[in-house]
Amino acid sequence: MLSLLLKSMRSRIIPTSLVTISLMASMVLLLSIERIQQGAEEGFNQSISGVDAIIGPRSSSLELVLYTVFHLGRPTNNITTKTIDDVKQRSDISWLVPIALGDSHRGYRVVATEPNYFKHIRYGNNQPLTFSKGVPFAELSEATLGSDVAEKLNYSVGSEIQITHGSIESLGSKHDDFSFKVTGVLNKTGTPIDQVVFLDLKGYELLHLGWKSGKKVFSLEDIDLSSLPPDALNPKTVTAAFVGLKSKLTIFNFSKNIREYPEEAISAVIPGIALSELWSIVGLVDKGFQLLSWIIIAISLIAMVTLIIASLDNRKQEMTIYRANGASPKFLAAMVIYESLVIGLVAIIGAIILVTAVTYFATNQLNLALGVSPSFKWISLNEIKVFSIILLSGVLSGLIPAAMVFRKNLHQALS
Amino acid sequence: MLQTLGLEYHYQHGKKIVFPEIEIERGQRLLISGFSGCGKTTLLSLIAGALQLQVGDIKFDDQDYTSMSSLLLDRLRANHIGYIFQTLNLIPFLSVSENIGLGIRFSQSRKSRVGNLNQEINRLVDSLGLDKEVLNTPVNRLSVGQQQRVAAARALLGKPDLILADEPTSALDSDTTKKFLNEVMETFDASKQAIIMVSHDASIAPYFDSVIDFNKHYA
Repeated sequence: MLSLLLKSMRSRIIPTSLVTISLMASMVLLLSIERIQQGAEEGFNQSISGVDAIIGPRSSSLELVLYTVFHLGRPTNNITTKTIDDVKQRSDISWLVPIALGDSHRGYRVVATEPNYFKHIRYGNNQPLTFSKGVPFAELSEATLGSDVAEKLNYSVGSEIQITHGSIESLGSKHDDFSFKVTGVLNKTGTPIDQVVFLDLKGYELLHLGWKSGKKVFSLEDIDLSSLPPDALNPKTVTAAFVGLKSKLTIFNFSKNIREYPEEAISAVIPGIALSELWSIVGLVDKGFQLLSWIIIAISLIAMVTLIIASLDNRKQEMTIYRANGASPKFLAAMVIYESLVIGLVAIIGAIILVTAVTYFATNQLNLALGVSPSFKWISLNEIKVFSIILLSGVLSGLIPAAMVFRKNLHQALS
Repeated sequence: MLQTLGLEYHYQHGKKIVFPEIEIERGQRLLISGFSGCGKTTLLSLIAGALQLQVGDIKFDDQDYTSMSSLLLDRLRANHIGYIFQTLNLIPFLSVSENIGLGIRFSQSRKSRVGNLNQEINRLVDSLGLDKEVLNTPVNRLSVGQQQRVAAARALLGKPDLILADEPTSALDSDTTKKFLNEVMETFDASKQAIIMVSHDASIAPYFDSVIDFNKHYA
C-alpha cells in the first residue's frame, strides 16, 4: 500500500509538496520561536553567573536585580562601607565585590568596582570575562569598557573619557575636570556587561570629592591629588555588592542572616531566583508568539485537508479501479489517512532538520547579534510532545476525507 | 455458478427495473445487449457486489449475496471477479505491468494461482496481441485499443471465475473490436472461467454462447 500511496502522491507532486512545505514552514516557525525563547530565557537567566548573592539596600529583589544586573532604574538607597566590611568578615564568604552606580558616559552606565570584579563575575554558562584588548584597570584614573561601548563609541586602549554625573547628560553635570584612560576592552558577552564603563571605586569617589547633593562645589583642578590622605578616597557608601559563598548550601542561611543584620536595612537576593521571577513577567510576550504559530499550524492542517478533499475528485478513477479489483473502502480510507500521515511526517522531519541546521550554523551570529544562543540539539521532549499533537491532529483531520471516501459506494464510482 | 433470482432495482429518481433471470456456468460466455440506460451497468454492479441488493437475490456458487456483508462482497469480488470498464481502465501513475498486477493485489487466492507474476503477465500480454514493449510504455501513451487489452489482462490475471465487462469495445472501431474480442476469447480459460459482457452493439453476438436482449425483455 505504501508504494501505491507514494506513487499516487508523486503523481500529484506539486500540490502535495506545496502543502507539505506550508506545513513545514509553520512548524519551523513554531520550533524557532520555541528555541529562541528557550535561548533567550537561558541567556536571560545567565545574564550574570558565578554570583551566589547580591547584597543591597532593603528593597524588592526585582528592583535590586534590575539595577545591579541590568543597570536599569536607579538605586533608592546606598549601603555603608562599614556594613560591607562587616559582611566581608563572615566565614561563609569566599569573595565580595562592591559596586557603585549612578554615573554614566554618553548614555552608557558606569559601574565603579574593584579590579577583582573581572576575576569573579561570570556570564552565560559560568564563562569568565575575557579581554579583547588590554587589561583590567589597576589605577584610580583608569577605565575598562564593555565591548558595545568600545565599538559604538569607537574607543580603544589609550582613549580618554569623561564621566557624566547621573544617567543623563545635561549642562554642568559633567565631571569635566578629570579624565579616565581606557586600559582594556572586554570581549562580547551578550549580557548587559557589554554596555558598561567600569571604573575603580576610588576613582569614582575622587570624582565626587568636590560634589555635594548633585552639584559641583569645587573643581578637582585646584587639588593636588598627592596631598590627599590615603584613606580619603575610600568610599563611604556603595550601591550593592556581589558575593560568592564557599558553599552554595549555606545560601538560605546567609540571606536570612543578611536580612537580620541589625545596623542597617539590607537584603540579599539570589540572582537565579530573581531572574526567573523577572522572566516570568518578560516571557509573556512569547506566549503570544506561540499562540500565533499554533494558529498558523491549524491553518496549514486545514490546507492539507482541503488539498486531499479537492484531490479526491481527480482520484475518482484511481479509487474506482482499486475498488473494482476488490479493495475495501477501509483500504481507500487508510490510504487517505496515511497520506496525511506522510505529509505530516515529512513536514516535521524537514522542519527539525532545517531548524537544527540553522541553529548549528548560526549560533554564533545569533549570539553576537541578539545575545541569544539557541541551544543546539536535535529535539527536546517538549518538542516531541508538540509534534505528536500535530501529527495526531493531522491524522484526525485526514479522517474527514477518509470518511468521504468510505461513504462513497462503489456503484457511484463505477457508473 | 451464478444465478439471479427476481432482481429488481428502484432508482432514487423513481425509475424501476425488473431484470430478467440470469444463469451462467463456468465456460459460458453471455452477452447482455440493450439500449443505453436500460440498466445494464446497474446489473453488472449488482453482480459485482458493488451495489446493495433491493429486491431479489444473487447466488454465487453456494453463497447468497443477501446474507453477505459488504466486506465479504468486497472479498468475493477480489477473489472471483475480474472487471473491465468502458474506458479509463488504467491508473496513470502506475506502469503497465503494475496496472495489470492490481488484478491480484487484493486477493490471496488469485495470487496463489499465479506462479511467476512476470511470466504470467508476459503470457497474457502476448496472448492478447500486445507487444512486450508496451510494458515499459507510460500508460497515457497507449492507444485506446491497447489500454483495453491491458485492462483485459488485469481482469484475466489469476483466472478469476467470472469476468464482467461493461461495454469494453464501445470506444473501439469495428476492426479493433473484432481483434480485441478474438484475443480475449482465446485467452479466456473456458474450463474455469465465465464471462458476462454488456454491450449495445448486437453485432458482437457471434462471440458469445448466449445473448440476453434487454430490449426484448421489456418489449
